[in-house]
Amino acid sequence: MCRILAYLGDPLPVHHLLFDTDNSLVRQSYRPRMMNTFLNLAGFGMKAWDPASLRPDEPFSYRATTLPSFDRNLRFLSAKVAPTCVVAHVRGVTYSDEAVVGETNLHPFHFPGTRVVLAHNGHLREFRRMRYALVEHIRPELAQRIEGTTDSEWIYALVLSQLADPFGMPDTRELADATAAALRILRSLRVERGIDTSSPVNLCVSTGRSLVSTRFSFDYGWYPPEDEMLETDLPYVSLWYAIGGEYARRDGGWEMTDGDPARSLIIASEPLTVDHPGWFEVPEYSMLTAELSPAGLEFETRDLDV
Amino acid sequence: MSDPDTVGFLATVPLLDGRDEATLADLARILRLRTIAKDEVVWRQGEDGREMLFVVEGALSASLHVPGNRTVEIGRAGPGDTVGEVALLDGGPHTMSVRAVKTTTAFALGRVDLAALLAPQDPAAFGLRRAVAALLTARHRNQLAHLADSLGGDAAGPPAEDADRAFAELEYCGPPDSRYVRRMATFHDFDPLALWGFLTSGSYARCPRGRTLLAEGAPSTACYLTINGAVEQVLARGSRRIRVGLAGPGRAFGYEGLVDGGPSPVTAVTRERALLLVLPRDRFTTLFHGEDAVARVVLDVIQRELVATLRQTLRPHARLAASI
Repeated sequence: MCRILAYLGDPLPVHHLLFDTDNSLVRQSYRPRMMNTFLNLAGFGMKAWDPASLRPDEPFSYRATTLPSFDRNLRFLSAKVAPTCVVAHVRGVTYSDEAVVGETNLHPFHFPGTRVVLAHNGHLREFRRMRYALVEHIRPELAQRIEGTTDSEWIYALVLSQLADPFGMPDTRELADATAAALRILRSLRVERGIDTSSPVNLCVSTGRSLVSTRFSFDYGWYPPEDEMLETDLPYVSLWYAIGGEYARRDGGWEMTDGDPARSLIIASEPLTVDHPGWFEVPEYSMLTAELSPAGLEFETRDLDV
Repeated sequence: MSDPDTVGFLATVPLLDGRDEATLADLARILRLRTIAKDEVVWRQGEDGREMLFVVEGALSASLHVPGNRTVEIGRAGPGDTVGEVALLDGGPHTMSVRAVKTTTAFALGRVDLAALLAPQDPAAFGLRRAVAALLTARHRNQLAHLADSLGGDAAGPPAEDADRAFAELEYCGPPDSRYVRRMATFHDFDPLALWGFLTSGSYARCPRGRTLLAEGAPSTACYLTINGAVEQVLARGSRRIRVGLAGPGRAFGYEGLVDGGPSPVTAVTRERALLLVLPRDRFTTLFHGEDAVARVVLDVIQRELVATLRQTLRPHARLAASI
């Protein structure tokens, strides 16, 4: 289990999202407030799009298996970068000798030549029973790019494979449809194989211009009796958002200022502040879509019934 | 205010209806009178709950923060009303901001004192627990009515016959794996014997996905507790349908009409296939009005459920308010 964060809006120093608040993403790696008995110490990854940078459609990329709270490079860089879109992730793995901590398993995933990145908070129980059945739903040129051992990277390849052109720039609707189609394929393969245990799939999928996020679980509420993730998974895996003008420090605290139309959106596994009246829980079984346009941020929530 | 005056006032508070004079006198001794100036913010949404208030004179306004850094007024409290109990009961932050509309006097009851009033296994504490359940149920119904008004249109949920059919077609089965049940947070702090008594007081049944177990406006036939799976509670008005709650493992539903005798305020549909503990109306009523350790578990489960539901119902409230 992990923690994810996505931002879309006015240029914002990444430091504000990763370090500055009292429940920032980096704090959530070692002191998550909405996870039971679980830490997220298996690495950090981030993709960030800055329109003022060289090749603005390609994100700035950073990932390291070191603990982000002690990563000085990350601190220095995040104080200098002010992107309009960010997808970041701190990875948590089970405390078992089967877990592989390595750079190739760090989110967000981003295959060379593609425009879409994906980060995942959740896990597909019994993934080994369905992994290779997924191959027939993934384009060969994408399947051969899978480097790591995570279920999440396969989900990424599956989402990309549902796009008309996995190497093109999909619009928000196409990205949302591809994400829903990937979940339908996963559902169908699970049914075929009799896999019916809870498997949370909170996703952040982005091109830098569009953002699609899901708060979703297959077979929520069903667990093997002695499952090591039971206490973590009994509550529906959390996802929150804050939307408004800009994310700024006001009166000693951090808040999303008023904005009509809205210009900035943060989606995160947990609110970035302990006191969080400006944060709203994403409904369970739902998909959020957001897109930057000259008129402001277009934002929509819909039920996800796959 | 003198002690007899305080007792006289407390006797008019709906939450304390039926409490004997000795109980009210005990309560009067631990209350603290507060005067709140017009426009003074008593607490802000998200702040830790340290006390609840019994309004003596004046008026308080409760408002909810909604997306876009705006607030909407959800309700007002006048003489005899209480505010702030949700945060005291679950230890979480205040669900709404409260401000004095005019100069207001109110009695404050602290978290520890409320817990002490509810803790004993005596008739007074059992009575107070039932009164709290009734108060929270009324609050829940108000919130849902407010939401339904926001949606507009006529109720458009499935007919009551669907719920009757689903109840008749429940597939009864054996109890769940006890190793699993013991790990559910809902049951962690109950006395093991009392919990066992609760878990064996009803029947277990499986229900497929997509079945209507409760129809809005119809009487409840049973209280359900989800062991596995998930059941969503929805309001449907015209072509609009919003989810107001999701009962996953350890969460109860269907109890509102059994607590206050009213119809079900929501429609409940299985979102996932589900394994449910079913407490039929008569069985639930006996337990709810009991005064033993198993009744205590039932009252605790219902109280926790109501508090969680009140918090959960504010989510669509906030989103709807933001879209109006």
